[in-house]
Amino acid sequence: MRPQTLASIAAAALIMTVTVVSFPSGQAASQAPAKIPRLADGKPDFSGMWDTPKVPGGRGGATTFDRASMAPFRPGGEALFYEPRTGDPRKDEPRAFCMPSGFPSAFLGPYPIQLIQTPQHLVMTTEFMNVTRIIPLDGRPHKTDIEPTFYGEPIGRWEGDTLVIDARNYKRWSLDDWYYQNPKEYRMHSEEFHTIERLRRVDMDTISYDFTVDDPKIFTKPWTVSWEMKRHPEWEKTGLYEMVCNENNRCAGGECTKDTK
Amino acid sequence: MGRMRVRRIDSEVDVNARAIGLLVGLLLAGGTPAVAHHSFAAEYDGTKPVKVSGVVTKVEWTNPHIWFFVDVKDDQGRVTNWGFSAGPPGVLQRRGIPRNAMKAGDVVVVEGFRARDGSNNASGGRVTFSDGRSVFTASSEDKAPR
Repeated sequence: MRPQTLASIAAAALIMTVTVVSFPSGQAASQAPAKIPRLADGKPDFSGMWDTPKVPGGRGGATTFDRASMAPFRPGGEALFYEPRTGDPRKDEPRAFCMPSGFPSAFLGPYPIQLIQTPQHLVMTTEFMNVTRIIPLDGRPHKTDIEPTFYGEPIGRWEGDTLVIDARNYKRWSLDDWYYQNPKEYRMHSEEFHTIERLRRVDMDTISYDFTVDDPKIFTKPWTVSWEMKRHPEWEKTGLYEMVCNENNRCAGGECTKDTK
Repeated sequence: MGRMRVRRIDSEVDVNARAIGLLVGLLLAGGTPAVAHHSFAAEYDGTKPVKVSGVVTKVEWTNPHIWFFVDVKDDQGRVTNWGFSAGPPGVLQRRGIPRNAMKAGDVVVVEGFRARDGSNNASGGRVTFSDGRSVFTASSEDKAPR
């Protein structure tokens, strides 16, 4: 048998396998999901270039977390959430001096996000400061007694076609970019910050992305914002550009007359 | 520092302003307030617009924001070198603004907002060249010149 023929048979077998996994028996035809790319193991494939997550038709970036959609504060929570600033720009906005943005802040700005998926991992990279999350998809338990980090410890698991990413082990840090909208309010999360992301590829060009904030030191209960990510295949040509914050960071924190590079 | 005297802008540029405003509006319509890495509000004063014309002396096509410098001559013939911060190189390239869009020697009009520390630095939101071409160089989160 010629190699090409063998390859054709293998490809056909693969397609049949994928088809079987994609449409489990008993699923009504009317409920069949939109045609979406899948890996050989049948799981939805999120790989591609995507715009930053936004509330459909509206809020992204600094305004994506609307105060009205948050849960009530628990006693003392508000003071933790809006930590007072000191007047020293290096302390008040360390991100202006190229310190990490943390999660989710780094993934909210006007920069493309590239997703690369294997059966074992989802890799999520934003052009902003070239931040990468490598998310195992086996639902392993969270580590205990590790140093908390700016970007936390994300662990994925599948619930049907929905990828659920549960992240803990964050250090206390900026929650989002609201400060850039209102410099009088700097929003922080606590070290008990826990995030749950639910990603579903709705169609070729859309990921439905529910983002739940669970911070029991600040809020009385978890709250969720429903985002969408839109695909931008035209960004595949150049890929992500390099973004090095320390390269030429003039006027950091508004200190133009000091050498803040 | 403080007081600033700059040469009046040629009237033909003002004629173009409406078209440029439309362009800026279109660019902003697609964008939402977002973070680059800095706080526009903390670093620049949105109540202090600046509009200067002069000659580009240097372009730094670097992260996290490009910078360009313009020699501006006042009524007495004194020259001040202004520094303008604009968007990140990657964001500008995706917007169709290549690294050679602006070169030393170009005569430009720049509109932006002054740095809060009162120095001769500003955000450079919009650049108009002597042939009327205009590029919107600000980060999408920055306040747009109107």
